[in-house]
Amino acid sequence: MKQFLRIAAVLVFLFAGCAAALSLARDLTPTTGEAPPDVYALMQDPDSYRPDGADGVAEIITGTGLAETRAVNNVAAVVFDYRGFDTLGESFILLTAISGSFVVLHRRKKTPKQEEDAGHEA
Amino acid sequence: MKHKMKTRSIIVRCGSGQLLPFAIVFGLAVVLFGTISPGGGFQGGVIVASSALLLTLGYGYRTAHDAMHPHFLHSGEAFGAIVYVALALIGLLCGANFCRNIFWDNGAPGELISAGTITFMSWTVGFKVLTGVAFLLLLLLGLMAPDGDGEEDDET
Repeated sequence: MKQFLRIAAVLVFLFAGCAAALSLARDLTPTTGEAPPDVYALMQDPDSYRPDGADGVAEIITGTGLAETRAVNNVAAVVFDYRGFDTLGESFILLTAISGSFVVLHRRKKTPKQEEDAGHEA
Repeated sequence: MKHKMKTRSIIVRCGSGQLLPFAIVFGLAVVLFGTISPGGGFQGGVIVASSALLLTLGYGYRTAHDAMHPHFLHSGEAFGAIVYVALALIGLLCGANFCRNIFWDNGAPGELISAGTITFMSWTVGFKVLTGVAFLLLLLLGLMAPDGDGEEDDET
């Protein structure tokens, strides 16, 4: 009975997820305005790309990103400018993790008194 | 040098010795040109930190420990974090919000020093990850190193 309930719950979640994904995919509008670009033709002739028709994320990448940040590398612009606070937290995660593992893992040098105690126990 | 170098197999030692400068120079280049080319501070820092691993592979833990000063690395990581916060506070001091890119229009796009604080933040994160990951690698390798590592030397 318990196993049957578990399988039923998993199936319900599976169908709900599939239905949600399908409805999202049907309603989603393409970000490129008109017809999607011909990728093979773009690869043959990259200069033919016109950034004017872009909107949404593509417009930020091709249009306003360079004008707002002057960074040629858009990933650097996102990581250090638009989401600089996120990078701050990320680097503090690294600092905290390394400090914590240092506290747990580092080998203490035995002081003479500790060695004496260990000798007594042995 | 205080301790005698622990000598591994000559092939491993020469291989790591050959790869070490390339790893360091390539990683520093990735950090330096992070804002104008693919790459960035974090990735370049990890590449430079792999030199700790190469040094340990070739010459033993004791040599890597003496060459890289783990406590200096740990303080360097904290220093990098402080510099990042200071760069982020520039925006607050100039009357805008935290992490604001104030002098964003210095330099033409594509130059090494351009895009304001983005470049300096990338370098800071690179330094921070370099020191932090190298310190972590040395810490973990120190757990595995035998107690007398560095004292004895094998025949080559």
